[in-house]
Amino acid sequence: MISTIDPRIMTFEQANLAPNDYKSEVHPIWCPGCGDFGVLSSFYKAVSEMHIPTERLVVASGIGCSGRFPAFVHAYGFHGTHGRVLPLATGIKMANPELVVVAAGGDGDAFSIGMGHLPHAIRRNVDITYIVMDNEIYGLTKGQASPTSPVGMERKASPYGTVETPLNPLLLALARGATWVGRGFSSKPKELVELIKQAMQHKGFSFLQVYSPCVTFYDTYDHFKQVTQPLPADHNSRDKMSAMKYAMSDETLYLGVYYQEERPTFDEGYAAKRAKAHAENYGVPQILSRFTR
Amino acid sequence: MREFIDGAEAIARGAFAAGCNFFAGYPITPATPILLRMLRELPKTSGVGIQGEDEIASIGMCLGAAMTGAKAMTATSGPGLSLYSENIGLAITGEVPLVIVDVMRLGPATGGATTVSQGDVQFLRWVTSGGFPIIALCPSSIAECYSLTQHAFNLAERFRAPVFIATDKEMMSAQQSVNTDAFEKIEIINRVAAPAGGEFVPYQTKKLADIPAFAPIGGEQLTRLTGSMHDERGMLTKKTSAVNKTSRHLWQKIQAHRDELEFTKLDAQEGAATLVVSYGITARSATEAVRHTRAAGKLASSLIIQSLWPLPKRALRESMRGISRVIVPELNFGQYRQEVERIALSLDPRPEVIGVDRVDGELITPQEIEELFGRG
Ligand SMILES: Cc1ncc(C[n+]2csc(CCOP(=O)(O)OP(=O)(O)O)c2C)c(N)n1
Ligand code: SF4
Ligand SMILES: [Mg+2]
Repeated sequence: MISTIDPRIMTFEQANLAPNDYKSEVHPIWCPGCGDFGVLSSFYKAVSEMHIPTERLVVASGIGCSGRFPAFVHAYGFHGTHGRVLPLATGIKMANPELVVVAAGGDGDAFSIGMGHLPHAIRRNVDITYIVMDNEIYGLTKGQASPTSPVGMERKASPYGTVETPLNPLLLALARGATWVGRGFSSKPKELVELIKQAMQHKGFSFLQVYSPCVTFYDTYDHFKQVTQPLPADHNSRDKMSAMKYAMSDETLYLGVYYQEERPTFDEGYAAKRAKAHAENYGVPQILSRFTR
Repeated sequence: MREFIDGAEAIARGAFAAGCNFFAGYPITPATPILLRMLRELPKTSGVGIQGEDEIASIGMCLGAAMTGAKAMTATSGPGLSLYSENIGLAITGEVPLVIVDVMRLGPATGGATTVSQGDVQFLRWVTSGGFPIIALCPSSIAECYSLTQHAFNLAERFRAPVFIATDKEMMSAQQSVNTDAFEKIEIINRVAAPAGGEFVPYQTKKLADIPAFAPIGGEQLTRLTGSMHDERGMLTKKTSAVNKTSRHLWQKIQAHRDELEFTKLDAQEGAATLVVSYGITARSATEAVRHTRAAGKLASSLIIQSLWPLPKRALRESMRGISRVIVPELNFGQYRQEVERIALSLDPRPEVIGVDRVDGELITPQEIEELFGRG
């Protein structure tokens, strides 16, 4: 019953499912017009085009409007605690490296309460995809400022305007050493499907920030339509300096694959550690070392 | 074979004997010795051991792994247990099998990191929001560290719930010469697997107190869980009938099986008027006090509690019948004594309950307990 924990190369019999086949029996309860609908439908399309069998796909999430994501996907689902999706997803992936694990959540979940986990998932290069639906606000709790809200945002919880500088998730991920970094927009579904596919095909930790406006508490559709544009054609996604340069731009917000590199994943690293432990096992020095603490 | 080992080693060996194949933890005195052993031994097997970035991550990884089919354990002390709290709630509501070792140390906050205590007894009982029951075992010898850890895994599997091992700094780090061949091997059970085929409903049970069959993430059946109040499908719901059912199920699944969850050791002496009720490291002093009292020609009885929670009401009530004085020695301000007092109230004649409390980082000596026998 208990699966043995052994890293294997991700291979599966290709499924032939339509995007709609990845819909669960539960209809999203998001407000009509919520950007998360765009992310969800792009996700259905991406996993369908990648032929991922539902019995290989896990969607884990934190708490927030966006955290409801797994309920709407016909796959294994783990709707955990606020900000803690990365540890959950890490545990799932390490217990069964054959699974395709996607973590999903909001900007508050990822960059506020859960920020402590992001650098470590990056550092470990856990082979999962993290999709952050960034609406620059707390949607579920009805419109408080988030770590990506602009300075001066006036809301009930910030009646005199926020004074904190918003953080830059892409720069953070790049600086921490994420092996795949990208940004999409829920209103650009064609590009978003591509981004999700590339992120999921990447071996290692892929970090995808998706602008996903909250029509109810912070309608940014017009703003993002004006300020976003594709990364320039001369950008080389293997060039970290170039990725950082474009990530720093705050007037024009670029969409696309910022950066990618290959590094051993956490399960690969663990397999190497295991080989070492096996080799060292039961030697006289090892046994003796147990008595000399 | 006689070996010179500590409780941490015995817990680690007990975990392996029970089939533990996942551990994640964050270093904290006095729980670190468990972490060291698990991280040393797990890579030699097909299991996984991870040092998390903090306690919230560590227990989170355990939850993810456990729902993927692993038998997971984590270990911490009071400050870390505080950080586990929310995800313990997730384990309760998601019905995730998990073993959590709490190596108690003195005081609130950082307290006395290297100082013995039994101060988390009520904290463990109410360790997360909602007020749902939990299971906590408490070894008082190296051999019990081994056997009760296996029981903890069995109970976690059987009840699909977090199971605690409440222990302390002295139990974990004082080495002792023990005959490890005499360690009790317990028959290991695993969670009941959902039958293959047919429609799988993750949290469906026939009766309220039944434990739902398990299908791992990545197994034959699509399964899901949520930390939110959910229906049988594991889908968030606000429907009062479904919420009521889930709440009552989480209560009933432990409460209706309390008899299975009582682990105690009674050493009653015919005609004794005094009973000492003890647990953990303090039970060792209590045992010595009883031995000494008897050697002096006086009568004395002892009840050692191995399962702190749910409260072993039946054993407590039966052992206290006809007793006029109950002594409860504890390294806290009487956290378990208040439970014993409540049971005493229901007895006629009602025994007097007196405590020996120590909160200065020293152990209670057998003499301190024996004095109270003498006065009886
Ligand atoms: C420990 C904890 N603190 C606070 C909350 C309340 N809470 C739920 S979601 C949320 C923020 C949601 O914002 P975000 O992560 O951006 O998701 P969105 O709703 O915008 O998609 C908060 C503060 C909680 N569920 N748990
Ligand atoms: S409150 Fe905002 S984020 Fe939440 S569902 Fe509505 S539009 Fe989407
Ligand atoms: Mg948000």
